[in-house]
Amino acid sequence: MIETRKSTNFFRLGLRRLLFLVCLGLGGVLASATLVRFAPGYGAEERELDPRWRADSVEALRQKQGLHRGLPSFYFHYLSALAHGDLGESDSLKRPVGELLRRRLPVTGNSVIRGLGVAWLAAAGLASLGLVTRGWWFEASTTAFNSLLLSLPSAVVAMLAVHLRTPVFCAIAVVVFPRLYGYIRNLLVRSYHQPHVLAARARGLGSSAILLRHVLPLAAPPLLALFGVSFAISFGAAIPIEALCDSPGLGQLAWQAALSRDLPLIVNVTLVVSLVMLAANSLADLAGRAFAGSTQ
Amino acid sequence: MIRRVWFVLALNLAFCWPALVSAQAPGQSGGELHFCLRAEPKTFNPLLVEEDASETIRYLTGGVLIRLNRQTQALEPGLAVSWKVSEEGRKISFRLRSGLHFSDGTPFTSEDVAYTMKALMDPQLHSPTGDSFRSGDGQVVVQTPSSDSVVVTFPAPVAGLERLFDQVAVLSAHSPKKETAVLGPFYVADYSPGSYILLRRNANYWKKDKEGKSLPYLDSVRLDFQRNRDIELLRFRRGEIHLINTLDADYFDRLQKETPAAVHDAGPGLDSEFLWFNQVSSAPLPENKKTWFRTTEFRKAISMAINRADLSRIVFGGHAHPAFGPVSPANHFWFNSSLPIPQYDSAGALRLLAQAGFRLQGGTLRDSSGNRVEFTVITNSGNKSREQMVAMIQQDLSQIGIKANLVTLDFPSLIERITRTYDYEACLLGLVNTDLDPNSQMNVWLSSAENHQWNPKQSKPATAWEAELDRLMQAQSSATTEKKRKSDFDKVQQIVADQQPFIYLVNKDAMSAISPVIRGSSPSVLDPHAFWNADVLRLGPDPALGAQK
Repeated sequence: MIETRKSTNFFRLGLRRLLFLVCLGLGGVLASATLVRFAPGYGAEERELDPRWRADSVEALRQKQGLHRGLPSFYFHYLSALAHGDLGESDSLKRPVGELLRRRLPVTGNSVIRGLGVAWLAAAGLASLGLVTRGWWFEASTTAFNSLLLSLPSAVVAMLAVHLRTPVFCAIAVVVFPRLYGYIRNLLVRSYHQPHVLAARARGLGSSAILLRHVLPLAAPPLLALFGVSFAISFGAAIPIEALCDSPGLGQLAWQAALSRDLPLIVNVTLVVSLVMLAANSLADLAGRAFAGSTQ
Repeated sequence: MIRRVWFVLALNLAFCWPALVSAQAPGQSGGELHFCLRAEPKTFNPLLVEEDASETIRYLTGGVLIRLNRQTQALEPGLAVSWKVSEEGRKISFRLRSGLHFSDGTPFTSEDVAYTMKALMDPQLHSPTGDSFRSGDGQVVVQTPSSDSVVVTFPAPVAGLERLFDQVAVLSAHSPKKETAVLGPFYVADYSPGSYILLRRNANYWKKDKEGKSLPYLDSVRLDFQRNRDIELLRFRRGEIHLINTLDADYFDRLQKETPAAVHDAGPGLDSEFLWFNQVSSAPLPENKKTWFRTTEFRKAISMAINRADLSRIVFGGHAHPAFGPVSPANHFWFNSSLPIPQYDSAGALRLLAQAGFRLQGGTLRDSSGNRVEFTVITNSGNKSREQMVAMIQQDLSQIGIKANLVTLDFPSLIERITRTYDYEACLLGLVNTDLDPNSQMNVWLSSAENHQWNPKQSKPATAWEAELDRLMQAQSSATTEKKRKSDFDKVQQIVADQQPFIYLVNKDAMSAISPVIRGSSPSVLDPHAFWNADVLRLGPDPALGAQK
């Protein structure tokens, strides 16, 4: 009976999260559409300065740009088209937005997942090593290295990646790693000082066994939540990194869309990015709760 | 449990390893020319081309009836063996090469030319290429008396008619591949959005070299999309790309120090940098400023007070030349060599200003009502040379007591101000000129035109000299002889020099970087500077760059 109630509650929570996610995504779309629409230079294009265009062609061009002028009407048409799976056409690239996103999302997804993998591997490995060795020199050097990486803006990391010819996922890993390392390290240290862990140590259990049998299970729920956050961080970092490295992912697309005030493209990129980030956070949260529940 | 953790760690490592390994430097294969486009092409339809990237694709893939030789500036036969313009520029007859095929094997006939011209002249198409041919209302008639002859008749005379065909890539009327079936040296083989375009050699290309060998020599051309010019330069230095079509002066100097053989300065190009004052009557500016900007003496004084030689020397490192008027000396036929060379003369500028009622008081210039002469120049952000030019102009103008301020705006904001709100005082911009013929500048000089930037869309000419500009531009457009056209356009250039609606500052040199591995290059002042003869380019041995097959 209690199990059934628990699963029903869990289902309701999932449903609430999904509803929240959709509302927030659409809210983000509205906010980005408003910002783009009222940005200076909206609807003005460089080609208007091309003297080869005749007056009637310039007028036709402006009328086409004028289609998105009324924000409520744009939003209404956008939502009704979205309901039919139509994301519209990019004003600047003259291609269907759906096709652009389909081609770019896997590139960013690939970089983000690889970058996350490297960052998690390095951060978890280094934090575990610190816990096992517990030497002051190791602590000091990793803290200094971590602080150095934390102080590097994503743009600098991206430029370094260009100069060193490293792929985008390495730059993402460098941005995400210091944010993960500090948190994972603190989490493991806190778990390591729990009474039952101290008791295990007193009984002479080896460091690796303590880490794997007692510390990690205790730290797992917050680590899962951290995974969601790290996904959001890496996705956020991918945008400027891809734009600077000219990697054909969502970041480059978002940058192009912003520069050319491409309303249909920018609202859809915003929708996709916000949905992916919110979904990752929600899934990690739900997984953490489920894990905590099962442990109890 | 320990095993499981190690398994997860090993899995993670295995997952990331291929990507780590793939982070090596990309290799190069021979026979493939490699360079960057600074934006992604918006279209592969040659009739709809309106920006540089699509223009490059059209140039490399499109077959045209008549080709403008970028070196000699003369017209040469392309798909047409010969042509004849008649009826005062209303009619053009072509005799076509026979036995040619599109890249997909579809035969080329006069029907394809007729199909292309009809599609191009469709009023709903709205393309700059089509607009260049529109000289009057009415239908364009295309006749195909035989499979190798075409006659195109326009409703009104078109000035410089045959030259316009350099921009018209012929489409196939019958190919199922539509616009991807081409007659140029290369065809689009692969396109990765956001990343690159791969062009492969068109085996059906009609042109042969002197030995009778089929052109082009290159197997393929890979065009990467690269917006960042610093990265483009970095890649050139690493040997990852073979050429940079347009090089800025500071990049030119940096590269010259390292590899002098790789950089080429072809001399003054067609592009010009200029400044103008807002003379729009409805502009939201104080009346006294509007009065200054409409005063010819004021504009001429500003022009005299700017040291163009210093701009060329300091901002462009000597890779620019003082500009006299709307036509660069690089445009051999249309340049008016009798125009007065503007001399830097701040004392003369003050004398002119005094004639117009301005006076210098304690180092500050004031108008007849006592208002301090101060204005703001807008230009596009991110363009270092323009920002430096404004900084130098500020210094020059401070010598005659004028305070000039600089505001940089991103391009859309700047365009909004100069075309819609007119909320600006002065603007410094550059004109990228691709066409030699003055007819392409009709929308700049006609007072009713959109691009008559200092005072666009006038219902009737605001000044007598603008009325004269209108008359002369219309006259040159309908003149039947080149001599008459030249004479009319020379007068246009003289009026512009006298009235200074645009204060021309410099003509930038056409600079490019070409790797020593490329054989047969011959940079020109006309665009595309570095690869205008792409069909005869080939990659030679250069162990340093490793670009040999």
